[in-house]
Amino acid sequence: MTEITTPIRAGGASTGWLGRLEGKLSWILLGLAGLALPLLDDSYMGTIATRAYIYWVLSAGLNLVVGYAGQIAIGWVSMLTLGAYTTAALAAGRVGPEWPVYLALLAGGGVGAVFGVVVGLPALRLRTFYFAMTTLGFATIATQVALAWKDVTGGGVGTPGPVFPWPFDPGWGFYYFCFLLAAVATWITANIGSSRYGRALVAIRDAEVAAEASGIAKPRLLVLIFLLAGALGGIAGGLFASLQSYITPDAFTFEMSVLFFIGILIGGRGSILGPALGTLILTVLPEIAAPLVQWSTFLYAALLLLIVLVIPGGIADLLDYRNRRPLEQHREIVPRPDLLPRVLGDQNARTLIALKGIRLHFGGVKAIDGLDLEIHGGEVHGLIGPNGSGKTTTLNVVSGYYRPREGSLRVDGSDLPFERPHVRAQWRIARTFQTPRVVGAASVLENVMIGGTVHGHGTFAESMLSLPRHRLDERVLREAAMLALATVGLESLASVRADRLQHSELRFVEIARALVLRPACLMLDEPAAGLSAEEIRRLGGLIKAISRAGTAVLLVEHHADLIFDICDRVTVLNLGKVLAAGTPEEIRSHREVVSAYLGA
Amino acid sequence: MLQSIVSYGLAVGAVYALIGITYNVMYSASRVFSFTAGMLGMLGGVLGALFIQKMGINAVLGFVMVLACGAVLGIVTELLTVRPVLKSIEQHLYVLSTLAFALMIQQVTAIEWGTEAQPFPVLLPIGEGWLDQKFWLPLLACAVTIGGLEFLYRYTLIGRAFLAIAEDNYAARALGLPETWLRIASFALAGMIGTLAGFTGAQMLLAFFGNQSILNFYGFVPVALGGMGSNRGAVIGGLALGLFQQAANFLVGGIFAAVAVFAVFIVVLLLRPEGIAGASTARRV
Amino acid sequence: MIMMRAWRPAVRKTMTHHCSGAAPAQEDAMSSEPLLQVSGLSAGYGKIVVLRDIALSIGAGEAVALLGPNGAGKTTLLRAMSGLLPRSGQVRLGGQEMPNANPRATVAAGMAHVVEGHRVFTQLTCHDNLLLAGYGVPGAVRARQVDEALAFFPEIAAKRNDKAVTLSGGQQQMLAVAQGLVGKPRLLMLDEPSAGLSPVLVDRVLAAITQLRASGTAVLLVEQLIEKALAVVDRVYALARGSIVLEARADEADLPNRLERAYFGEGAHAPLDA
Repeated sequence: MTEITTPIRAGGASTGWLGRLEGKLSWILLGLAGLALPLLDDSYMGTIATRAYIYWVLSAGLNLVVGYAGQIAIGWVSMLTLGAYTTAALAAGRVGPEWPVYLALLAGGGVGAVFGVVVGLPALRLRTFYFAMTTLGFATIATQVALAWKDVTGGGVGTPGPVFPWPFDPGWGFYYFCFLLAAVATWITANIGSSRYGRALVAIRDAEVAAEASGIAKPRLLVLIFLLAGALGGIAGGLFASLQSYITPDAFTFEMSVLFFIGILIGGRGSILGPALGTLILTVLPEIAAPLVQWSTFLYAALLLLIVLVIPGGIADLLDYRNRRPLEQHREIVPRPDLLPRVLGDQNARTLIALKGIRLHFGGVKAIDGLDLEIHGGEVHGLIGPNGSGKTTTLNVVSGYYRPREGSLRVDGSDLPFERPHVRAQWRIARTFQTPRVVGAASVLENVMIGGTVHGHGTFAESMLSLPRHRLDERVLREAAMLALATVGLESLASVRADRLQHSELRFVEIARALVLRPACLMLDEPAAGLSAEEIRRLGGLIKAISRAGTAVLLVEHHADLIFDICDRVTVLNLGKVLAAGTPEEIRSHREVVSAYLGA
Repeated sequence: MLQSIVSYGLAVGAVYALIGITYNVMYSASRVFSFTAGMLGMLGGVLGALFIQKMGINAVLGFVMVLACGAVLGIVTELLTVRPVLKSIEQHLYVLSTLAFALMIQQVTAIEWGTEAQPFPVLLPIGEGWLDQKFWLPLLACAVTIGGLEFLYRYTLIGRAFLAIAEDNYAARALGLPETWLRIASFALAGMIGTLAGFTGAQMLLAFFGNQSILNFYGFVPVALGGMGSNRGAVIGGLALGLFQQAANFLVGGIFAAVAVFAVFIVVLLLRPEGIAGASTARRV
Repeated sequence: MIMMRAWRPAVRKTMTHHCSGAAPAQEDAMSSEPLLQVSGLSAGYGKIVVLRDIALSIGAGEAVALLGPNGAGKTTLLRAMSGLLPRSGQVRLGGQEMPNANPRATVAAGMAHVVEGHRVFTQLTCHDNLLLAGYGVPGAVRARQVDEALAFFPEIAAKRNDKAVTLSGGQQQMLAVAQGLVGKPRLLMLDEPSAGLSPVLVDRVLAAITQLRASGTAVLLVEQLIEKALAVVDRVYALARGSIVLEARADEADLPNRLERAYFGEGAHAPLDA
């Protein structure tokens, strides 16, 4: 027990330079500065700061969409437009009776939330550019509608913004109101960012298929995020309308979207403090350097181009000193299979995955042609065969990517639905990929924690407010992930960014991620590819030990020696059919197999 | 009224179609969707007004100069915003790089040309009323472009090379086709088509920096609905979009037209992300 | 670019030699090294190293098969050689260093690569497909070279004005091989030309190799069907786990057994030999 508790603490940090700054101190300083600003009694500065807070309320939500989920929502200014006009129109009584201003602001947030989902929905189906274009189109149309719908918006003439009554009346009262809301937005989004939901968003961004395999349901998660980001955008709009005191469609230019967007990109993806500082700086900068005002959008765009071309990771990457410190050169992966019983727990039930009569066609090609296969708990089952024989396709059928024309897939007697990859984790079926699919920008530990997403109990709202159940989830998951890392022999790299690891280490990270799920069935897709002979030997030992702990292991592999070394059963596929099945010894001396493998 | 709906709708539709083709030509050569399509359309009008109206250059020479500027901008787009991010195309950084470049050009235009819409000179005083040249000129440009592209693709080796690269970039490279040069040529061609759209449509749309985002979106709608890379889809979709917009404008007002276009765009794409006529996507695993 | 201009004429000259049926041996007078000389070649995808320190050579007019279990890196090797994939190490053709990651220059230098999976341009006619394959050939002789390439495959010649999409898989493969021939390469690399073809068509495609060899073109053939491959080549290399594990003459008696041992690893269980 003791030898594991130490590394668990060692790997506790989150990513990067900004990550460490995010440890409270900088926030406290920012907060104190914000609280103390009115002491200067400079109303011009107060207005600028208020504007920055308002922008940040929107950007905080947008940051989850852009920085975490990686969705290029370039037209988010439309949420500001909607929130502003909703609040202004309701408060001014342009639609029905006059609403109380605070209630109107809430309504602005509500409208923002609804349209956040409407605009966001296409992200679930569409390719990146299409989605970017949808948000841009929506922003264009929101302005056109604002111009044309004169009854409500006042058209080109505009409409007065709402005035908040005491205690947040114009002046410093309103300043504190915006400050408070900015603080709340920060807290909420930071909680989400560091929760399993935040990690899931990043996983969707950088390793979508692995995220699905870890049980992350992209649609549900994105809808929640768009809801939140839309609501924050709408509320920011209501505040903006009040700050402007008079709003016309001209006030909501597309250039503002660019400001929000670049503030986030400068700050770096997957950070909260960075984008907050980015937004603050971009808002304040043109005010200080007056001649820049005219050229500010040009400069923002130039900055965007520069960041994309030179440092796609944002300024945060540039300042990430800790992750530039060289790693030890000659690292060895020394798995500790003895820890497996603790990682996997009791696998008392003997799992049985049974494929029966599977037929799958791609166009006219028979990829799988009547396949029967049983994978037993406690055994390593090797799957070999020439290219195009259907090995990976079989694995993808079990993983839920394809729907066969015929056949059944059962786990311990109950049917497993086809074409539902994200439910596999609930059935405790884990897998690795031919090319490791990890989140390069996240730490190794965070990557492994993604594998245990389905074990969390806290809801989105609980995570948002950092309630006890959320905190318990985090602690349990972190410990499980450290234990899994120790098992594969990588605990010393827990806090390192995953993209700094060698290829062979990434293979073991994927196995650790799979182990956190406590899988009843583990499918490995060519885990030995690209590994040295010594690494393959250790991998073999680890795989065998995993199976002996009770997990059913399906191993697709080209390295014949590894297959014959560790498998309990081997199935040979050829042209989508089983050519032979049996013990390694039987297969090794099977004439037809040898010739199929060598080419007939 | 019907006449003006049809003539104006078709003319605007032809501009949308040409912007759609601009998207297509760039996409076919690089698999990149570029936000510079709308920018080119906007500049076609602004530069045309600048050269012909402001600087008093002869209309034909001015027209050629506009196209030349479009070609140069196309090449700059390729060099500056596409090539550097092409290696990691799956990260979609081109969305941001082309957007940034388009915005920079738009801002320079806004500052140097002004944010007011300015009139575009009458080039050929032929036709009047609903037969005015400002209505048939975009249609003519669209027809010429389609005919020219058809000739290029059918009867020239370089045109076939464009098709080959669009269909299978890898096989084309293996054959030793000069992929980089063909991509540059495509972007130059797209630059000319985009500015042609803006130039011929500018009497209707005026020389206005704000046309950029409008053309970006309405030029993309027909392409997205007709399937990326299909010029036929872009033309049919563009003309239909123009007609629909004008009809809705006249009959039920601008709010409805804008909202309806957006709604159709979203709904169709949600039901068929690859477009009405497009092919379905490849496997991911 | 400058480099290309410098050696292109030399290449053309040698190729005309071939066309006129000159003995392959004449070429070796220029340099003592074989037509193709690969040394110290490593390549991979991103962080994954697939090939380590590959060395092989092919003589002028020689047909060589590259064998190996799947996943061994055969396709990767062809890609690295033809410049479709960046590599480290040397590839020399006729004494000239081939530029890294520049397929265009590599094709122009006389090394053609027919990629896996008969990837012809389906929306173009067969004739256009072949014209494109001769993109770097001077316009004056392009049509003639297309005709000469078509002479290898009469059934494609009969369909020259049909779109490639109308061809069967086997015909598409023949078209792809014909594409490789248009530039009159000194070395033709074929990646699994038999994949997905019926046995009769496989024979038709592989028969072309014999013809080519007779005309002095060297061939590097990646093939799964070992027996068919052995029938048309002079020599074989076997690739396993990213390295060359065997080099042998095609007519060696014990070849299948040696291959098997090379694939499965010498130290692995060997009940077959017991």
